[in-house]
Amino acid sequence: MNHQTKTQFIAVASITSELTAVISISKEISLAAANAKAIAFRAGDKARGFQPITDFINDLAKEMIQNIEVINELATSLCRITIKEYRKTEAFNKFELITTTCGSAAHAHSMQKPLADAEVIVQNCQLQFKRDVAMLMDHLDTVTQHAKTAGIIATYSRIEASQAGEYLQSLQTVSKSVDNAAQKIHDHVQRCIITLSQFGSANK
Amino acid sequence: MKSINLYEGPQHQWIMFGRDKNKPDSIIDSNQYMVRTANRCLLLDPGGYELFAPMMAAVLHHASVEQITDLFASHQDPDVISSLSLWDQALPHAKLHAPKIWEGFLRHYGCESIEYVPIADNGGSLKLEAIELQFIPAHYLHSSGNFHVYDPEAKILMSGDIGAALEPGGTPLFVDDFEAHTEKMRYFHQRWMPSNPAKKTWIERVRKLDIEILAPQHGRMFKGEDVKRFLDWFDALQVGMAV
Repeated sequence: MNHQTKTQFIAVASITSELTAVISISKEISLAAANAKAIAFRAGDKARGFQPITDFINDLAKEMIQNIEVINELATSLCRITIKEYRKTEAFNKFELITTTCGSAAHAHSMQKPLADAEVIVQNCQLQFKRDVAMLMDHLDTVTQHAKTAGIIATYSRIEASQAGEYLQSLQTVSKSVDNAAQKIHDHVQRCIITLSQFGSANK
Repeated sequence: MKSINLYEGPQHQWIMFGRDKNKPDSIIDSNQYMVRTANRCLLLDPGGYELFAPMMAAVLHHASVEQITDLFASHQDPDVISSLSLWDQALPHAKLHAPKIWEGFLRHYGCESIEYVPIADNGGSLKLEAIELQFIPAHYLHSSGNFHVYDPEAKILMSGDIGAALEPGGTPLFVDDFEAHTEKMRYFHQRWMPSNPAKKTWIERVRKLDIEILAPQHGRMFKGEDVKRFLDWFDALQVGMAV
């Protein structure tokens, strides 16, 4: 296995692991939103401004989960392409070895076409990998934006919570957990972006 | 990898490939065969992934890539056909003749372009220009879906794992002392072959064929009287010893 293929395998495995964590955290946000909604309902007028925020947080968490699911599919596709590229590169290397070892064979020239075809297939795999990385980066950018939005909403919700009287502490806890979760998602996604940035033109 | 002409007829020839000096010691040695007519070639049990490059390099002394139109796999084992993905890429228009029951399994090796031609349990035949080869059922010897290839004109039976012997590399191509050779075959046949009734059925079937050369996938080939000696020896051998 060459260095590039190894790096691709490691990168795909790393981002899959990061994305699993992001899904889990997004579900936590969704749960926090449900919890906040129940508290806001009990608080009634004191938390009137908080209620629409909880719906917004919930929708945002759902969108993030949907995006991560798409990203996961793309990561699986990257894994498949890496395996294909590895196999096709192996074939190319063997074809090349044959052409160098059968020089005196009467039909040695007939290996030239399979060799040339194999080279094209390997190049196509590499292009496909870069295209999929670029698509994946776009989706990761979207999740980064969502995480930033969740952070901003957490700040607004803290302001709204300050007017909730005896429910202040409960709602502030919810706001804090949303803020922490948004930061964690941001960090995981950034690690994915850094990992993928090494693949040339896929850089964003 | 060595190659030797086994038969040269007016319409076709048989070539055996094997005894590769550069083969890693950790993998079992295997014999590959080619049946060549004017414009077409059939490779029989073309070998494992590790042997692909030396095998193809050896084949190119006898035929061009375009002339290799057909592959045959007696069964699903890796030493028989784990090179499939490489042949698939080198020969995208070729056909693979192999047991029907192994199709879904063999495709795991990688078979995107080559056409899989399933051989039904009762066998079949393959016409290669003017000659016709027969697929002889050899189920449970050792694989549950297993075929041998018989050429009535050349009187050669490619017998897969039947007749195989486990020997160090560089052994002679043909059995020269049958009695001494039986000790090299005994354990392999007793341990790998699971069924005495299947063995009896196969022997009955094969005794009806006119065989000059019995050509196994491992070890030495049998010629002339040694073919009958082998069938008698195998007939008397109890197999399936591990149970």
